[in-house]
Amino acid sequence: MLPRELFSPTFHLWPREFAFQNWTTALARLAPHLKNSLIISTMTAAVTVAIAAPAAYSMVWLKPRGKGVLFSCMLTSQMLPAIVFVIPLFILFSRLNVVNTLPGLVLADLTFTVPFALIMLRAYLADFPYELVEASLVDGANQFQAFLVVVLPIMLPGIVTIAIFSFLIPWGDLIFALSLMTDTALQPLTVVLYKAVGQYGIDWTFLLPGSILTAIPAVLFAIGASRFILAGLTRGALR
Amino acid sequence: MSGDVKTKEEVSGDERVGTKKTSAPGGLFRGQKQNLPAYVFILPAFLFCALLLGYPVLYSLALSFRDATVETFVSGDMPFIGLSQYQQVIADPVFWKAMSNTVLFTFLSILFQFTIGFLLALYFQLNFQLRNLCLSLLLIPWVMPLLTSANTFKGLFNELGPVNQFCHALGLGIKPWLADPNYGLAAVIIANIWIGFPFNFVLLYSGIRAIPQEIYEAAKLDGASYWGRVFHITVPILKPVSIAVLMLGTIYTVKVFDLVWIMTGGGPGNGTHLLSTYAYQTGFSLLNFGQAAAIGTVIVLLILAINSIQFFLQRIL
Repeated sequence: MLPRELFSPTFHLWPREFAFQNWTTALARLAPHLKNSLIISTMTAAVTVAIAAPAAYSMVWLKPRGKGVLFSCMLTSQMLPAIVFVIPLFILFSRLNVVNTLPGLVLADLTFTVPFALIMLRAYLADFPYELVEASLVDGANQFQAFLVVVLPIMLPGIVTIAIFSFLIPWGDLIFALSLMTDTALQPLTVVLYKAVGQYGIDWTFLLPGSILTAIPAVLFAIGASRFILAGLTRGALR
Repeated sequence: MSGDVKTKEEVSGDERVGTKKTSAPGGLFRGQKQNLPAYVFILPAFLFCALLLGYPVLYSLALSFRDATVETFVSGDMPFIGLSQYQQVIADPVFWKAMSNTVLFTFLSILFQFTIGFLLALYFQLNFQLRNLCLSLLLIPWVMPLLTSANTFKGLFNELGPVNQFCHALGLGIKPWLADPNYGLAAVIIANIWIGFPFNFVLLYSGIRAIPQEIYEAAKLDGASYWGRVFHITVPILKPVSIAVLMLGTIYTVKVFDLVWIMTGGGPGNGTHLLSTYAYQTGFSLLNFGQAAAIGTVIVLLILAINSIQFFLQRIL
């Protein structure tokens, strides 16, 4: 739709003129930032899995001391408002000079993803038999080999689910990206779209196609993984 | 019976198996000395917890008692000023507006999200074609990046946008959505209901699916009507799940930030602020970090209060 039609006095459910140039302009404007979003989301997902998968295995089957404390810590952090993380991290990152770096933003996003991933994976693992691991231990494997060869394949569906979530949470994150990324070149898609709402009005022909383009990976992932999401979530949340 | 009870059984079952194993041959590998891998596996999570969760939260608490603005931050001294930032916050009328908005926003969002989620869950209990497809589609509002939904609603509620076109066609006239604090709050609540109802639906639906069909069959034989079965079977069995859903939903709703920040930015005239956007504005627009941290602490206290209500409700119900 062209701007003059978008808010014309007569409303049409279906546009009369299709303005495909809105989409191509939006795509061109977002393309440089797509890379930032991809890097941030992929790194966050990878680190989240690397922290949460062994920890969940250890908590459920190896039962180390302090696992209760760790779990309550993770649960509590899920309930805290983002502001209690954003401000200290901003000050800390300024001191350490990691404001305006992609890894800095990844560290901040981890505060959302790791607790969520650990809570979900723990619920996911609780239903699997430890006997499989014991069998491989009897066969002479050590715990680390058993983890790589036996546990990881068992956990794979759960890991895929938390990886998707840990990808999508930073993908849609605004508060951390807005506060910790002031360098325009490094900003992810969400911040670019947020800033399209400028002082001089809103650029709808960019904002709406851009928002929809940003949503595409999320919607694709969600439909593809909805079975895992439904199963993992209900177990994770109600436990 | 319900999801809650079942999970408790599973947890205790899990513990039983665990204790049995320590005495069984398999327990050999989990003796004190061999338990080193357990700590190696969990170490990164502990470090993460201490450095990226514990440290920021405690630092935020400490900041709320310190004069942390741009000037003191650059000079680096950030002097201790006790409770005075809390006093300033309490004296600020915008804080109380944000507080009442947060309460209203949370209450109305949860009320409608839960009702819609529950009715949908009841509907999905019936078998119908394309049920699984509809189930996946219903997840969309919830997994959609908040930015996309917020911008879409911003467009819908625009002065000349579809909602007003619709109001106009119904003869209600053009409403100042987003240009008036009260209408603005209504608009963000409507948007938030749309975003949040799938969460309620998914959890309630999985609770409903756990109810054995035999109970319904028996009630049907005894001549119970459909709504009779709903009120005397579904509702009581779903009670523990419902409490969990309501509490989780309430905590998530109190934390909502992006939606309001994108749709109204707390305006016009600071009239649609929630506590979260008020805190963010204080911190990153007015650059008063200490006071923002104080508001953050107030939000945490509010969430702790909601949590203790949950414990209380679970005791008595």
